Amino acid sequence: MTDFLAYLQQSAFSTWVRESGSLYSFPGILLLHTYGMAIVVGIVAAIDLRILGFAPALPLGPIAKFLPLVWGAFLVNAITGTILLVADASTWLHNWDFGVKMLFIALAVLNQFAIQKRVLGDERLDKGPFSMHAKMLAGASLVCWIGAITAGRLLAYVGGNGLK
Amino acid sequence: MIESLSNPAHIHLLLNHVPTVGFGLGLALFFVAFARRNDDLKRTSLVILFVVAVTAIATYLSGPAAEDRLREVPIVSSTAASPTVITTRWPHGLADGSSVDIQGHVGSTPSLDGQKLATVISPTEFSIPVDVTQGGTGGTLTHAATPYAPGIIPPMIRAHEDAALVAFAFMEITGFLAWLALWHWRRVTDLPGWMLPMVLLLSVVTFGLMARAATLGGEINHQEIRLVQEAAAGAGRVQQISLWVMGTSWVWPTCETLHFIGLSLLFTVVLIVDLRMLGMIKNVSYSAVYQLLPIGMLGFGLNLITGLMFFIGIPAQYTHNKMFYWKIVCVVLGGLNVVYFMLFDEAWAVGPGDDAPTTAKIAAASAIVIWASVLFCGHMLPFIGNAF
Repeated sequence: MTDFLAYLQQSAFSTWVRESGSLYSFPGILLLHTYGMAIVVGIVAAIDLRILGFAPALPLGPIAKFLPLVWGAFLVNAITGTILLVADASTWLHNWDFGVKMLFIALAVLNQFAIQKRVLGDERLDKGPFSMHAKMLAGASLVCWIGAITAGRLLAYVGGNGLK
Repeated sequence: MIESLSNPAHIHLLLNHVPTVGFGLGLALFFVAFARRNDDLKRTSLVILFVVAVTAIATYLSGPAAEDRLREVPIVSSTAASPTVITTRWPHGLADGSSVDIQGHVGSTPSLDGQKLATVISPTEFSIPVDVTQGGTGGTLTHAATPYAPGIIPPMIRAHEDAALVAFAFMEITGFLAWLALWHWRRVTDLPGWMLPMVLLLSVVTFGLMARAATLGGEINHQEIRLVQEAAAGAGRVQQISLWVMGTSWVWPTCETLHFIGLSLLFTVVLIVDLRMLGMIKNVSYSAVYQLLPIGMLGFGLNLITGLMFFIGIPAQYTHNKMFYWKIVCVVLGGLNVVYFMLFDEAWAVGPGDDAPTTAKIAAASAIVIWASVLFCGHMLPFIGNAF
């Protein structure tokens, strides 16, 4: 496995990402990652805040139409994130904070599945107040995404830096 | 005009009257509106206060660029010689062997612009190791320890800087509350009773603070009105904040993280509201998505505060950065853009299933482009611009 990662890290593509200085390489890939983050976290947070009682006149059913956009952006971030990981795997995989970030994202995704199934998929959606269970899921979702953003940003500061 | 507007130092001098004059206007109108109990006038003055607060962002952030202008030494001429001798209008403050950056020198062969090594001849003359066949004139020079222009007292700049930050903070709080009052107005005709008097009170305080900052700013360059030099005593709080931001390990990463959370909130509200206008989730009325706007404003406020921390921490990184220039241009445009969504009845009238009017669609599409550009410029600060 380590040999495979080392092979990927030394590939021409990874070298181009790390060292070319082209705006399409590291800066461009990270830009896509940032747009993806804004869309995923932003829309999920908007749904969470709605469940927690903000914007009560806004029906959630139609807002669920934004979910394909969320998952599309998540896919973009999975791809760009993998590229950035592979380009500097030896650094990232030794950074404990990277593990923290992945843990937060895994929990956030599981939590999001639960919200989509139990809350957005509920027949009684928009027909009454949200249950305590729904609110707890929404709160957990906010905590997980804030945790993921925090751990992600701190990657540049703790546990040995890779590309900033 | 265009050239002036692309220079942050000129922008500061152009825009520095907007906060005082504009705020004075908004405030006067507010008093009239209260006296006449005229709701339309009240709303108009709230809009003026908000727009002035948005413009003040550009005024405030262009300040350090204006200060840098006061530290450029004008070049009188260069001689046709090897090495060429350069004469400056006032003492250049160079040390022997130090590096000097020359910009905008015209007429010489070859061009002298760029970094050069200086050999000091006299306080207003120095040579650089270039064989010049034809002497030139004009341009400016800067170096690591460029002195201020004669007559400029640096503590006066520090006093202006301190006063400006306080005034700016109050103006943004006032602008935020004015926006919130406007937002409430649409939803419910009865505002919370404290809201408008609070905006009025804050506006009066802000106007006073702004007038003080403007006076101190004017005195930097207008020596004939320099009356309150004692104001300069004890100045330098902004510089202390700067040292704190740069010298405390957790401040920068914390602000960055909050900046990311803020941009996610803002960008998403922009997407949901504007994609509704463009035809997505058409079965939702505009008045329903309108309820999300304060979440976007919260994200914007978070980013204004954290962004200000970066800027105060190390202004040089942003002052001469073209990506930062365009970012702030877009932020101001974004602030003006939201006014459409707050005020216009045609947007408010878009009910469930309705197609939005063309103007609303144009405003919505521009908002997405504007805020995506803000994010782009911010991200590219270190890559296209020269930050970090």
